[in-house]
Amino acid sequence: MVEPATILSLKSLTKKFGSFAAVDAIDLDIAEGEFFTIVGPSGSGKTTLLRMLAGMEQPSGGEILLHGLRINDVPANKRPTCMVFQSLALFPHRTVGENIEFSLKMRGEAGDKRQARALDLMDMLRLPRSYYTRNVLKCSGGERQRVALARALAYDPQILFFDEPLSAIDYKLRKTLEKELKDIHRETGKTFVYITHSLEEAMVMSDRIGVMRAGKLVQVGTPHEIYTTPKTRFVAEFIGDVNVFAVEPAPGGMLRSAGIADDIKPPPLPAGFVGGHLVIRPEFLRFIESASDADNSVTGRLNNEYALGSRIQYQVRVGDSVLLIEKLGQQVFTGKLDDAVRIGWDARDSILVTD
Amino acid sequence: MRRFADLGPGGKSALPVLLFLLAGFVAPLIAVVWFSFMPPRTFSLAAEPSLANYAAIFESTNYISFLWSLGLAALTVILLALICYPVAYGLVRVFGRWAMLLMLLFTIPLFVSENIRLYGWVLLLIKNGVVLGTLKSLFGAEYASILFTRSAILLGMVYVYLPFMLFPLTLGISMIPDEARDAAFDLGASRWQVFREIEIPLSMPGVVIGFLLTFVLAVGAITEAKVMGGQRIIPIAQDIEIAFTYSQNWPLGAALSVLLMLVVGILVLAALWRFDLDRFLGRK
Amino acid sequence: METKASHLRHALITVWTLAVVLFLYLPTIAITLASFTASRYFQFPIAEFGLEWWRKTFNSIEIRQLLSTSVTIALCVTVIAVSLAFFGAMAFARYDWRGRSFYQKLILLPIFFPQSVLGLALLLWFNALGLQLSWMTAVFAHLVWIVPVVTLVISIQVYSFDPALEEAAFDLGATRWQVLTQVTLPVLFPGLFSGALFAFLLSWGNFPLSLYTTGSDTTVPEYLYAKMVAGYTPGVPVLGTVSTIGAAILLVGGYGLILASRRARQSVSE
Repeated sequence: MVEPATILSLKSLTKKFGSFAAVDAIDLDIAEGEFFTIVGPSGSGKTTLLRMLAGMEQPSGGEILLHGLRINDVPANKRPTCMVFQSLALFPHRTVGENIEFSLKMRGEAGDKRQARALDLMDMLRLPRSYYTRNVLKCSGGERQRVALARALAYDPQILFFDEPLSAIDYKLRKTLEKELKDIHRETGKTFVYITHSLEEAMVMSDRIGVMRAGKLVQVGTPHEIYTTPKTRFVAEFIGDVNVFAVEPAPGGMLRSAGIADDIKPPPLPAGFVGGHLVIRPEFLRFIESASDADNSVTGRLNNEYALGSRIQYQVRVGDSVLLIEKLGQQVFTGKLDDAVRIGWDARDSILVTD
Repeated sequence: MRRFADLGPGGKSALPVLLFLLAGFVAPLIAVVWFSFMPPRTFSLAAEPSLANYAAIFESTNYISFLWSLGLAALTVILLALICYPVAYGLVRVFGRWAMLLMLLFTIPLFVSENIRLYGWVLLLIKNGVVLGTLKSLFGAEYASILFTRSAILLGMVYVYLPFMLFPLTLGISMIPDEARDAAFDLGASRWQVFREIEIPLSMPGVVIGFLLTFVLAVGAITEAKVMGGQRIIPIAQDIEIAFTYSQNWPLGAALSVLLMLVVGILVLAALWRFDLDRFLGRK
Repeated sequence: METKASHLRHALITVWTLAVVLFLYLPTIAITLASFTASRYFQFPIAEFGLEWWRKTFNSIEIRQLLSTSVTIALCVTVIAVSLAFFGAMAFARYDWRGRSFYQKLILLPIFFPQSVLGLALLLWFNALGLQLSWMTAVFAHLVWIVPVVTLVISIQVYSFDPALEEAAFDLGATRWQVLTQVTLPVLFPGLFSGALFAFLLSWGNFPLSLYTTGSDTTVPEYLYAKMVAGYTPGVPVLGTVSTIGAAILLVGGYGLILASRRARQSVSE
């Protein structure tokens, strides 16, 4: 298989506001045609990064290379890229058709060619053709998203940037649009660079994810890699509920965690390990009858129970800590609150991270 | 000296208006202040500075006009506050869809010059005018006209400056969130307590602007006294006008203006120094 | 909270408001009535009704000259005020910059200022500069007060303007000029229109500033004032009524246009 070419390359890209570095010397290569998502909490700098790539902000240092050519000084209206804004920024004084055709009109294309292209895009995005003359204010939230997308695709840009466009929509619509975006990505074959604060959203749609924190990229990888092998505690906790506790070396190649257990069988320890955190996803913990049913086990008291639809989550109090277990709804568990329970996990299902 | 290119978009956009106000507002006022220190009855700006004009004000009857203007303006503000608060309250809370039509009705007089509107009162109140003439023809009674009295001047001022109290008050009352009132009632407050503890404080920005605007404009009122008062009271603005025109005593007029500007300036600064205009105008 | 007490309160407020509206319009009614008299002097009840003074006023060359002066001043003021205030409003409401708070307060000063004193100060200033007083100095004087007002009016519209609209247009390939003409100005149009309406009407009806700064030119309000003081004719109420009705028509018409355009934007066609 041919290695996909790198389309966008960031070299030590930095943006400083005064002495505060919103984006701190980021190196990244984005492959052509991939769906790359940058995830991070508010204030991590992801919006600033995206705006630099799109041409809305001037970098303080470093370079942005498109197909190997430096585009730092190319203004946004000359870059072959297009952005979908968080507020969508649809022109309220124009119809759907006029919005979609805007970039073509700016390039001086003829009216009938513009219209043909707009209608094609509307077909692809499943907007009824009758919407062509409808004012955008009269469209529903989902329809407006599609209009914004069609507008961005109209002049065939090489890269599309997305600034958290789905953050203000309700859950059900968001799930639908996430899948649609992924389909559109496949159909058009374009490079999508997306930012969001929800790792869950990123995992659904992306080919690769970059986790950003305080201006730096802490980990880049496929969704699977990020999920199963987080490099730091921050990345591990970013996805939501996860069990994390501090561990230090114990005799016999084991680990000890105060208040939880003194002889934890770990996954392969890196050389010179002096301490860190152990991460266990809730779905890898299970209720067991005896200590021999799993590599590691602890006893505790059942604290609480949460129904999460297809799964049920349990809170178990072990010493001073609370551990979370998840199991599928149809698996049977007959325990009551305040029961003494035994839970366990296998060493290979746990992850060691640095902080 | 900061170069033009270094200014951000905000600074650049502000430049035209700033330069204009510098030339059209700041400069004339500075000229007035300068003139006030010139010897009386001179026309040049280059003479020896003197305080003669200010002395003259306190030795003559000018300060009486000053006090009258201040007093009338204060009275106007109080009367208008009482008259307009219920109307403003109605516009925000009671009238619903009619509120827009009523606002339009209240806006139209703003654009008709005050002398025309005042003249209507003259026609109403003059001997053989609408009121007295009707009374005479119906009842054969002859009453004295209240025109050309001090009350007539006050009537005129209340009439002219009504919109300037009404609109800020309306804006201020519209800033009271419904939920704050509901919560107060829910917690057991009586109607009067809600009014005192919630509505008045939360509508304060509007009240301040209304009071300030009305007072500042009313203190410079001149037409009411002339048209409806028949020279019963000479407001300070008329003293200034006389000094500038008939008496040809610019420095005196300037000094009188400076005193008035001081009063106005102090009030405006005190009220607006920490005022959050963005919230008042933008996020309603 | 629909209690009996609140019903009563609402009724009282309604009655009071209607009384205030009547109070506000009573003089206008009186003026309109006075314009229909056939006699030379004003007397109520009106002895003879007639439209002669209306005819005389409209045929008068002097009146036409006045109207022309007033309209010219108002138009000049409108164009200049909206142009200046557009930028002023951007600085007021849209961009965050260091002097903004001070700038906002400065804009308010000409509004919170006694107009007659402002007019006299400008008279002094013009004389000190050796300028001849004419309708042009009146335009300048009007602008000192009206530019801040229009800035505030347009700012209200600018507050709800999404800057992302301009960025999106730029990103889609528009030049800075195209962004201005294709996106910024059209979206801000209701605010600009309201500002223009305000500028025109405020200039048209202004008396204190005009009185001191027009010199030998005369505006309608000045003329009416002169006639009120000495030399009353029923032509005065005629002109007064025309002025009032003209303002009302412009205001209602302008407001109606804004409402209609808003409705048109939201209409579903086809």
